[in-house]
Amino acid sequence: MTTFRSSLRVPAFAVSTLAVLLLAACGGSTSTGGGLGSGPLLEGVLAPFSGADASFGPRYLAGCYAAALSINGAGGIGGRQLSCQQFDTRGEPADAVPAANAMISSNSNLMGVVGCTSDEASTVVPILDRSHIPMVCMTGQSEFNKTSFKYFHRLVPPDSFDAYAMIGSALFGPNHAPYKRIALVFGDDIGSQNFVGPAVAALNKLGVTIAINQAIHLGAASYRTEVAAMLQTHPDVILTETIGSAGTYMKEVQQQNGGNVIPFIGTSATIDPVWFQQVVDAIGLPAFLANYTAVDLRLSLQGAGYDEFLTELTAADSKFSGSNALTYKGKSPTVHLYDGIILTALAMVAANSSDPTVYNPKIFEIANGVSGATVVNTFKDGVAALKAGKSIRYVGAAGENNFNQWNNSQQGYNLVTMDKDGNEQVVGQLTEAQTQKIIDAGGNA
Amino acid sequence: MDLYVAALGFGLISVSVIAIAAVGFTMQFGITNMINLAYGEVMMVSGYAAFYVNRAGVNIWIAMFAGALAGAVLSFLLNRFLYAPFQRKGTNLIGMVIVSLAASLMIANLMLPIVGYYTSSYVVDQGPLLRSNGLVLTTAQIAIIAVAVILMLAIHGLLRYTRLGKAMRATAANPTLARNCGIPTQRVIDVVWLITGALCGVAGVVAGMNSENFAVSSGASYLITIIAAAVLGGAGQPYGAMIGALIIGIVTELSAAAIAPEYKEVVAFAMLVLVMVLRPQGLLAKRGALAAAG
Repeated sequence: MTTFRSSLRVPAFAVSTLAVLLLAACGGSTSTGGGLGSGPLLEGVLAPFSGADASFGPRYLAGCYAAALSINGAGGIGGRQLSCQQFDTRGEPADAVPAANAMISSNSNLMGVVGCTSDEASTVVPILDRSHIPMVCMTGQSEFNKTSFKYFHRLVPPDSFDAYAMIGSALFGPNHAPYKRIALVFGDDIGSQNFVGPAVAALNKLGVTIAINQAIHLGAASYRTEVAAMLQTHPDVILTETIGSAGTYMKEVQQQNGGNVIPFIGTSATIDPVWFQQVVDAIGLPAFLANYTAVDLRLSLQGAGYDEFLTELTAADSKFSGSNALTYKGKSPTVHLYDGIILTALAMVAANSSDPTVYNPKIFEIANGVSGATVVNTFKDGVAALKAGKSIRYVGAAGENNFNQWNNSQQGYNLVTMDKDGNEQVVGQLTEAQTQKIIDAGGNA
Repeated sequence: MDLYVAALGFGLISVSVIAIAAVGFTMQFGITNMINLAYGEVMMVSGYAAFYVNRAGVNIWIAMFAGALAGAVLSFLLNRFLYAPFQRKGTNLIGMVIVSLAASLMIANLMLPIVGYYTSSYVVDQGPLLRSNGLVLTTAQIAIIAVAVILMLAIHGLLRYTRLGKAMRATAANPTLARNCGIPTQRVIDVVWLITGALCGVAGVVAGMNSENFAVSSGASYLITIIAAAVLGGAGQPYGAMIGALIIGIVTELSAAAIAPEYKEVVAFAMLVLVMVLRPQGLLAKRGALAAAG
């Protein structure tokens, strides 16, 4: 006989079973292996595309295009195709915050973000971290040397290390005796002034004379008085960056110094076609070639990882007209951010999850590798190894990465010049001993 | 001491650039009651017009005329088709400031995809460097100063000795009365925008020559200094704008020599604030719009 109670048990059991199943489905995205989901994915390029640092954005975007082509050519991330979109911060924190917020609120399919330069990182990194968006940032600010932001990753050394490398170039660079009187000429903005403190500390400790330490306002109409003051101190060499104003400043140096340019050493940011053209237009090509050197991050620029990058960058150059992607084939930001996006994509595949809280930790693991990891050089090879049940270490276009506990990675420095077409040429390297000597002198700030 | 004398000379170049721009800006305000925040962008449009002519092989001193023409035409069109209609509707001063701000943003963002995001520079023969008693100037820089002096004298002559100048002063003082007296105020206003637009155009070109590199974003940075010079001298006072340019140009360069370069603009604007506290109407009392000094 079916009682009223027993007649209720069956539908109650069905309802509760259904409820359990529904809960399991809803909670699937927060547990490991929740699946890669469906639909297109987006990589945000959050960087200056206008303003004084307008040259930064396009080189980052080029790296993203190449990575997207590499990933999509291998079938995408669980079949999901990746695209890139730029979000212009104008190089100003006040513009970067709304840009970051708009990017996040308008795109629920963000896989990750690249860019976040020194101009805006302090304001946007917390926003991205709160939203659990894995980011590979180009900021060199020292505040991120020991960051607590879990979603922050940096494949390039802090800016302070550029300062050490520039000093190394001044003291140990090829084709000249060690310079004795050094002028520091940097912009008075956050990013530029990051170089000055470590440089001053290192130079003082090493007993090298700082002829003048000059903070100039970038974008000013002229620097005549500043240059006159600098020339009065008779420096042997100028260490500088002055993005957007280098041509104005160096032209004045040439004019007031009897037509001669003082040798100048630039940061890695000066190895840029725009900076090159600006300064060459101002002082002429012969003076530029005779007096300019710079430091750049050491890149392998060879091997299977770089070959894949170059292939996809070449394809991106024609597919995305106006990108001039191939211009950036030797540029460390382009190469490193390409690797950063590949790492993020492989992390998603490894975690089998579209939930960044799940795949974010995998980025570290795949960059550094675990014991017994298989080395892979492309996204395609990485996916194949993961499908075969292996753990992987991605060694990409820029070579090995070695994240420390704060997700910071760096690989040493090249000493470079440019040829008449603005192409980078390596003329030397700082040895590990030379670099360490300067870092120790500067206090490793 | 040499550094200060050199800074004084450098200041004269800054004065020249600021004066050409500030006089045009303040005349627009004085006669048409328009605070034209798109002034900096018109300078850049003019600068780029001269740039393309220069790059086609024309000497920059000739290409400057192209810049002046571009500035004149654009300023005329801005007033005729944007500012004047709003003013006729009775839009108040704040509203007109917003309109001009919108115009500046539109012009800047329209220019970006056309001229690119990167800096440009003119092909200019700076000529030999001349040194005299501590002054250090190239012949091109001396020529910029000469252009500024000629233009200031021309403006003085226009305002003081021509019927058009008198009509401008009358329109500035009381447009309704001027109209009732038979002055074709609308035509006067059109001519004002053409003349001040030409000044703006020349200012854009000399600013580009002065700084070696310029970009679309340069316009906004020039505008702040221009407004400061105009306000310092007395809003609507061309002679005041000349004095304001002189003060700001010299003070910025001398402070870079005396203190530190990163403070030079701070010092200049501190001077502005001090003058505004002591004499809120600006250095030249506004006895009537475009009244001659003294």
